[in-house]
Amino acid sequence: MDSLGDTLWDVVICGTGLQQSLLALSLSRSSKSILHIDPNNYYGGADAAFSLQEAESWASSIAAGTDNDRGTFKSASTTKPDGNTGLSFPRAYSLALSPQLIHARSKLLSQLVSSRAYRQVEFLAVGSFFIFKPSTSSGQKPSLVRIPSTREDVFSTTAIPTKAKRGLMKFLKFVLNYDSEQRLATWQPYADGPLTDFLQWEFKMDAELQTYILTLTLSLDGLITTRDGLSTIYRHLTSMGVFGPGFAAVYPKWGGISEIAQVACRAGAVGGAVYMLATGIQEIETSGDNIELRLTSGDKVKTRLLVRNDENAEVGNGVSRLAAVVGSPLKPLFEALVEGAPLPAVAVISFPAGSLLTTAGKAYGYPVYVFAHSSDTGECPVGQSVLYLTTLTTPDSKEILTQSLQLLSEVIDADHLPPSLFQLYHEHGRGSVASRPDGSTFNFPDASLSLLFDDSTLEPVHEAWKQVMGETAVDTDYMTFPDREGIMDVEDMYD
Amino acid sequence: MASDDSLPTLKILLIGPSGAGKSALLTRYCDDEFDPESSTATIGIDFKIKKLAVRGKAYRLTLFDTAGQERFRTLSTSFYRGAHGVLLVYDISSRASFLTMERWFDEAEANTVEGIALYLVGAKLDKAESSREVSPEEGQALADAHGARFCEASAKTRVNVRRPFVDIVDQIVQTLGLLSGAGRTPGTVAVSGGGGGGYLSSCPC
Repeated sequence: MDSLGDTLWDVVICGTGLQQSLLALSLSRSSKSILHIDPNNYYGGADAAFSLQEAESWASSIAAGTDNDRGTFKSASTTKPDGNTGLSFPRAYSLALSPQLIHARSKLLSQLVSSRAYRQVEFLAVGSFFIFKPSTSSGQKPSLVRIPSTREDVFSTTAIPTKAKRGLMKFLKFVLNYDSEQRLATWQPYADGPLTDFLQWEFKMDAELQTYILTLTLSLDGLITTRDGLSTIYRHLTSMGVFGPGFAAVYPKWGGISEIAQVACRAGAVGGAVYMLATGIQEIETSGDNIELRLTSGDKVKTRLLVRNDENAEVGNGVSRLAAVVGSPLKPLFEALVEGAPLPAVAVISFPAGSLLTTAGKAYGYPVYVFAHSSDTGECPVGQSVLYLTTLTTPDSKEILTQSLQLLSEVIDADHLPPSLFQLYHEHGRGSVASRPDGSTFNFPDASLSLLFDDSTLEPVHEAWKQVMGETAVDTDYMTFPDREGIMDVEDMYD
Repeated sequence: MASDDSLPTLKILLIGPSGAGKSALLTRYCDDEFDPESSTATIGIDFKIKKLAVRGKAYRLTLFDTAGQERFRTLSTSFYRGAHGVLLVYDISSRASFLTMERWFDEAEANTVEGIALYLVGAKLDKAESSREVSPEEGQALADAHGARFCEASAKTRVNVRRPFVDIVDQIVQTLGLLSGAGRTPGTVAVSGGGGGGYLSSCPC
């Protein structure tokens, strides 16, 4: 077998996050020679999914500063109560570091279909969105209110006063044509201001109804602009029912985006790319038109192009995440509400800004979003669930997430609280957002922190593909492949 | 005869060290072809499909090769998902190849459901006379230690080429719960269709 140093590689891809993996997929039918490495000993980079054991060792490597992605991760820790708590074996779990929902109309899905990679991924329906309502001074207990997901739903719900319903329906109809010239004129003055202002002034929505709309955008700071907000709601509404009744988004089974990255890398390997994990770049030297790399494995390789993650330091406030395994199936969250709808495996719960109090007694200014995953996601054994809580990183964020988890337990199951069997907490800093091609290297931006998959993530992949393919790039061929397998129509009888 | 799509589909993996003869075995079994010159890593084959009837019932086998990801041991956990059976292949003319099998068993067991059908194959049986380095007894003992079945085979001479495939399918269909326990989940969403829908699609206004 050839040694790695004998080849002049067309491209060395470093990292197996979604973008690098999709690049490998996009090049998998080309004749380019590809070496795909990752300093981590696992696939998926910032989108990885971990068994409990892997989660523990990842958290301690972040804490010790030895993880290769430590640039943007920090304050990672795991906790589990002492004694036999009902946890299954470590591999029965697959905890996603950065779970994201994918709208049915996302380009990611159409690219996975046209590239034939989708066959190896199982997609599950994302069901209801709920709002957490805190207890009131008048003795009302805290509760979860479901956001109506269909027109019939809007009419039949008792949670919204009739007058407000009219405003809501008017808004939803507006969104479906929001980019028409006439409607543009209505929202343009609000375009770069917060969506909530637009909802308030143009549709007379009260604060509560605004949170319904805001929750659908999963805006981390709750301050999404009117422009982005309308586009996200539009995406949500037009995604509803595309792959079946009653849901607008999907989630890849077994740990989300990580699964897509792995399947894309497999496609790369089938196309002839060579894969090495636990292998990073130690030294980069430019020699003529090529780049010489010394890998941490000791190998020296030559390549025409190097594609990797941007290693720029943190540029902004990131997110705090808490993944908690709970010992209850949380069944009420995962009901199919429309006839013929698949049983949802994911539910979304939002704690609107202002509904939680910090230890100092101040209202917490950002929303907390919770993705509840049933055991159908394959992320935990039957009878358990995984809750993923996310909020913007602040000095209070860890405490707020713990408090949200506690409140949620009380609301969902007031009689016997589902004990949390395992927790993984971490903070993920916001890295650079622009891709930077520079001669013989191409830097992908840092992984997105968004809770909804953002199609703009796909653009740098296309750019990198063009750079690798050079003059031979034919845009209409991008990510469009025939099936690989041939049907063997041979009967082979045996008794 | 039922159409292809309605046949129960079994996912079977072939794993083992580079050069053990996984692809040769697969190609001989599926296409009855053997290329004595081919020693390069497998490129361009994602999986092969073969129909097979065992005990009077037909199955659709999807047979997955390692696609070269065995070389630096970078098979992903997703590769193992939904597998009903794993064929672990080594080269009987290479002790080094055999010595890696313990780790391949560990990896297969760690990434699959409990009770999955495992089958150990000593490949390149045609080299038994000239350069055998692993005895059949050693192979059998390793298989026994992991509750796997075992045989030796040669893609070159066709000896025992069908046996591991037929036996592992037999083992899968006989193991209670394995057929339903692994494989794809019912209720998953087909993302290849679509096009309908919309929030207000039922609204005539």
